[in-house]
Amino acid sequence: MMCRIGQQPEPQDAGGGRTSDAVFAALLEDSAEELYEFAPCGYLSTLMDGTIAKINRTLLDWLGLEREAVVGRMRFTDLLTVGGKLYHETHFAPLLRMRGEISGIALEIKQADGGRIPVLASSAVKHGSTGEPLLIRTTLFDARDRRAYEAELLRGRKAAEEARKRAEADRARLQEALAVLQQSLLPDSLPTVPGVEAAAYYHTASPDRLGGDFYDVFPVDGKRFAFFLGDVCGKGPEAAALTSLTRYTLRAAALHDPDPVAALTTLNKVLHERYAGSGDPRYCTAVFGTIEPDAATGEAAIHLASGGHPPVLVLRADGTAGYLPTPGGLLVGVLPDARFATAGTTLAPGDTLLLYTDGLTEARVGEDRTSLYGDDGLLRFATGHAGRSPHALIRALTGLLDGFGDGLDDDTALLALGVPTSSSLSSATRSH
Amino acid sequence: MSPLKITARDATTGPVVEITGELDYASATQLREQLAALSLQPGRRLVLDLAGMEFCDSSGITALLAARTQALAAQAEVALAAVPGNTMRVLRIVGLDQIFALYPDSDTATRA
Repeated sequence: MMCRIGQQPEPQDAGGGRTSDAVFAALLEDSAEELYEFAPCGYLSTLMDGTIAKINRTLLDWLGLEREAVVGRMRFTDLLTVGGKLYHETHFAPLLRMRGEISGIALEIKQADGGRIPVLASSAVKHGSTGEPLLIRTTLFDARDRRAYEAELLRGRKAAEEARKRAEADRARLQEALAVLQQSLLPDSLPTVPGVEAAAYYHTASPDRLGGDFYDVFPVDGKRFAFFLGDVCGKGPEAAALTSLTRYTLRAAALHDPDPVAALTTLNKVLHERYAGSGDPRYCTAVFGTIEPDAATGEAAIHLASGGHPPVLVLRADGTAGYLPTPGGLLVGVLPDARFATAGTTLAPGDTLLLYTDGLTEARVGEDRTSLYGDDGLLRFATGHAGRSPHALIRALTGLLDGFGDGLDDDTALLALGVPTSSSLSSATRSH
Repeated sequence: MSPLKITARDATTGPVVEITGELDYASATQLREQLAALSLQPGRRLVLDLAGMEFCDSSGITALLAARTQALAAQAEVALAAVPGNTMRVLRIVGLDQIFALYPDSDTATRA
């Protein structure tokens, strides 16, 4: 564009060229004085003490003041709000003195009618030929739109922050509710069973997902205690509802008839009735048993039945271990008439019965996490811990589960019932 | 980890549904919805071909049971073909090997 100054338009020029030349000529007629007065920003020159020496029309219009009232009579700070004055004294002026210029500082100017205009101020010191400061030139840009934009941003951020806080509070409440529900699915502590030591552990794969494993131990009559452990299909609230139904059905059924097959049969009827017709079949696997300690012999008789559950393990005081097979027992709740497999054994002092859910045996191990820990792995581990007390066994298994790390992605329940050797005392607590 | 893929074809015995990939908590609903869309005639056989199934958890087993319920409701049969070893082990533990008709592959499962 600069090269066109003073150039005569050629007569042959196209119309477009002539138009832009005419516009440019009009621009040139805009005197420097007029540009100063009516520029789209406020201009102001002050003496070094701040006294206003020169001010443009634009700024006077913003202020609603006449030139005579301002020039030589007011200082720059007189145009500012109280906050602006303070900021000017503490930051603006010192920085300007130090650097000789300052730019883009947000200030507010007062209008004669009491209004305020947010502005962005830039100042530069003009120096004389010998380097002495002569005056300060300041431009003020109207920042109303920008301020509104920033306020909008701020409001947006505040709203997002509040939403985040609400979401966090909701999440905390939900976690709390889930924790309470989860506890209603498992006993707080195991009862004291005379002549028997009991220990249990529950591993939760995810705090958000209510687990589908369950266990319980409770007295059924003067001589016997019932115990059960199982796994409902699925995860989440539906699984928790099923777990709850299962737990309380088994407890009620056992009080009526503690025979293991009878208890599982009742549960089967209840689950089948409740879910089979719903188009959303739900079922569980469970081992239900009774333990009858004999004070005279110091032994405990075990009778149990399994509905589709992995076989329980028996760890003997002599350092051996083996599965107690319950083949052919069907998932509970699938068929109206299901068959359950029974098994029995006698625990002598130092023997322990271990019930577990398949989170343990289905844990993925190995460097690439592709092989399963498996029945063999568990049997080897159990053999290595045969003769230990139920508490010691559960502690060891808890360590084993911890060692699986992210290879363990399912809930896992463990329940150990053992007859203590004469040197140890009977106790019942739940490990955490 | 491969996503579940379900393809259905018609054999002389009835529909054959091939299930490939992982049948788990996340994908079991997909199978159930696709099976629900199948029309089963009385006396026909629904064959679930599991040859390409890489993983099946308890939700997957539930979906297989739902298929069985659906077939029985339509007075049709249900059969599992080419059950992978690990799933077969689980089916035995939970007693379902007695409930499902099992065939080594979909060819034998579709012979009347």
